[in-house]
Amino acid sequence: MLLPLLLCYGGFAALYLSMDRHHRDLLGSTPSARRRQGLKVGGWLLQVLALGAAVALKGWAMGLVLWSAVLMFSGLFMVLLLPYRPRLVLALAGVSVLLSPIAAFTQL
Amino acid sequence: MKSKRPSLPVSYRLAVTSRVLAAAGGGYLVAALASVCISLLSPMTRAEAVVSGMMLSFVFYLLAVIWCFACRTAWQAWGGLLGVSLVLGAIDGVAYWMAH
Amino acid sequence: MKDGFRQSMAWLHTWLGLTFGWLLFAIFLTGTLAYFKDETSHWMQPEMSVRPLDPQASVTGAQAYLQKNAADASRWFISLPDAREPALSVMWQAAAKPGERGKFVEKLLDPQTGEEVQTRASSGGEFFYRFHFQLQMPHPWGRILATLAALVMFIGLITGIITHKKIFKDFFTFRPRKGQRSWLDGHNAVGVLVLPFHLMITYSSLIIFMSLVMPASIIASYGKDTQTFFKEVFPASDTATPTGQPGHLLPLAPFLEQARQHWTDGRVGRLTVNNPADVNSSINVFRDGADKIAHDFGSAVSFNGTTGQLLGVTPEQPLPMAIGGSFYGLHMGHFAGPMWRWVYFIFGLASTALIGTGLVIWLGKRALKHVNGVLPFELRLVQVLNIASMSGLVVAVAVFFWANRLLPLGLAERADWEVKSFFIAWGLGLLHAVLRPGRKAWVEQLGLAALLFAAVPLLNALTTPYHLANSLAQGDWVMAGFDLTCLGSGLFLAWAAWKMQRSGHAVASTQKQRAAPISLKQELN
Repeated sequence: MLLPLLLCYGGFAALYLSMDRHHRDLLGSTPSARRRQGLKVGGWLLQVLALGAAVALKGWAMGLVLWSAVLMFSGLFMVLLLPYRPRLVLALAGVSVLLSPIAAFTQL
Repeated sequence: MKSKRPSLPVSYRLAVTSRVLAAAGGGYLVAALASVCISLLSPMTRAEAVVSGMMLSFVFYLLAVIWCFACRTAWQAWGGLLGVSLVLGAIDGVAYWMAH
Repeated sequence: MKDGFRQSMAWLHTWLGLTFGWLLFAIFLTGTLAYFKDETSHWMQPEMSVRPLDPQASVTGAQAYLQKNAADASRWFISLPDAREPALSVMWQAAAKPGERGKFVEKLLDPQTGEEVQTRASSGGEFFYRFHFQLQMPHPWGRILATLAALVMFIGLITGIITHKKIFKDFFTFRPRKGQRSWLDGHNAVGVLVLPFHLMITYSSLIIFMSLVMPASIIASYGKDTQTFFKEVFPASDTATPTGQPGHLLPLAPFLEQARQHWTDGRVGRLTVNNPADVNSSINVFRDGADKIAHDFGSAVSFNGTTGQLLGVTPEQPLPMAIGGSFYGLHMGHFAGPMWRWVYFIFGLASTALIGTGLVIWLGKRALKHVNGVLPFELRLVQVLNIASMSGLVVAVAVFFWANRLLPLGLAERADWEVKSFFIAWGLGLLHAVLRPGRKAWVEQLGLAALLFAAVPLLNALTTPYHLANSLAQGDWVMAGFDLTCLGSGLFLAWAAWKMQRSGHAVASTQKQRAAPISLKQELN
């Protein structure tokens, strides 16, 4: 389940940053319209890819269940950690997105 | 010296109690009648229809409870539930009579 | 109630949450603990050692035991040991007069010797499992109350969603260290981010007991003949009528392999034998529930017990039963291996925290109006119930484990005494909450819970040879994991107690600060 987890977490981080208020808190500036859209699309795309990965790994029944579990887990983890270690959250997101092609290659 | 907080009028408390009773009792009635309706009218085998009716009944209970507290007066709570119950009851009656 | 749909739903959410919150907190906490019930039982009955799994030997041993002790029972049940449950469980239903329900007797056997397991008497983790849906009340009242609580939880979740205006805007919002605001943020965050789980757990619990609480459709379609309904939904539980002629039951072990041939893969989970002493006996072999998510209730391969002839294989479940089975399977989490079991546990704690934060917010908001600290009766009542139902319950859980290690092994009705200790501790927690001022009661109870939990590994070492040093050395991860989780919980509770005490000082100092500028103004004037 590593691949869906990495993709979900990265996706949530992108969606988090796509919101003006949070982008300002974490990166200091308001995102441009293009960046905002890019982050939104990217974030949603990562979540869909995570679903695809989960289904590819475990079939539709288990895959859907596991994807929602990974989604909830990564969301909860990120939101609880953000107020305390915002930079770590961002770093982990970057690492997740970078590692996911490797995870995809080895797991799928 | 703090002044005593004005306590809520009795009529308000009665209205709340009325809605609670409507939601709890009337809600159950609506849910049960809806489950019977689904089980008698669904184009499935008897066991499958009964299972479907039971599984869906709780959604009707939820809607009934929400109605009881969203409508404007406690009378409307009872009225709405009784109206729905009569309709469902009629459908159930006809379906039951037709099946037997 | 006020005008406006959202406001009336907020009112409903608040009052349902308060009135049922204490009960729901207990249900969700014990239910969450139940995900590790087998592991808890292993820690509480450490004398039951883990053996390598041998289904054939287990079944043979079980049959021998049942033949000796329950030859004239109407039904035998044999549950095979698996990775989580090392004991072989046998149960039988005594023959009963027609119309009556025969009594059930359950025993744990050692799968290697076929003899009754010689461990200390304890309910183990089963206590939490049964409590969370039976509430220690006589059948069927506990289940009805628990299901009613589930309905209230369902309405609470939906009204919560309706009330939460900025559900998307505030999706990622969590601002700690800001007093009441943080509690609400936490409540919303845990509510929204884990919402699919909360809804699944709640709705599935309604479905689990739906035949009990919503039987109208069964009666409308089947009339008095409700047994036919259950036979159609659970085909393999059909008890063939005994002929009265004695018969000889074939050895059960070979049927395991015969049954498995009908499944593409999968292990045998349990067997039932109907009318074992009769010539018209039948053997039903059920698949292990851990093989897939959707729980297939009736699915079994059935054989005639005297001739060995294949009676039938239950066909694939129809869709509505499969949906119900999926809800059941998702709720139980039988399919969950060690990692997913921890995920269930964390999400269960999230649901529990959702309820707990709600209770704290309810009181906190209203207590703000009484800055001098003296609460009117109704708020004081809520405060006492909050403390007793949350920290009091946690202390009771710790006392349950302590009782397991401290009660004499030979004590009569030992298992009952462990359970009594749990309730006595909970009752004392309520008394303590009544006698002590609010914040102090919280700090003292959380502190006590922290002490009791953190000391579990030490207690284990002082009372048994199954302590951490040994369990880690032997690779008994369940035993070690339990000790370490208790230690971790103790540390978390200690942190909570510390935070609670500190926030008490913060309130006192802000009150002093507020007083100072006022007197300064007076001097200037």
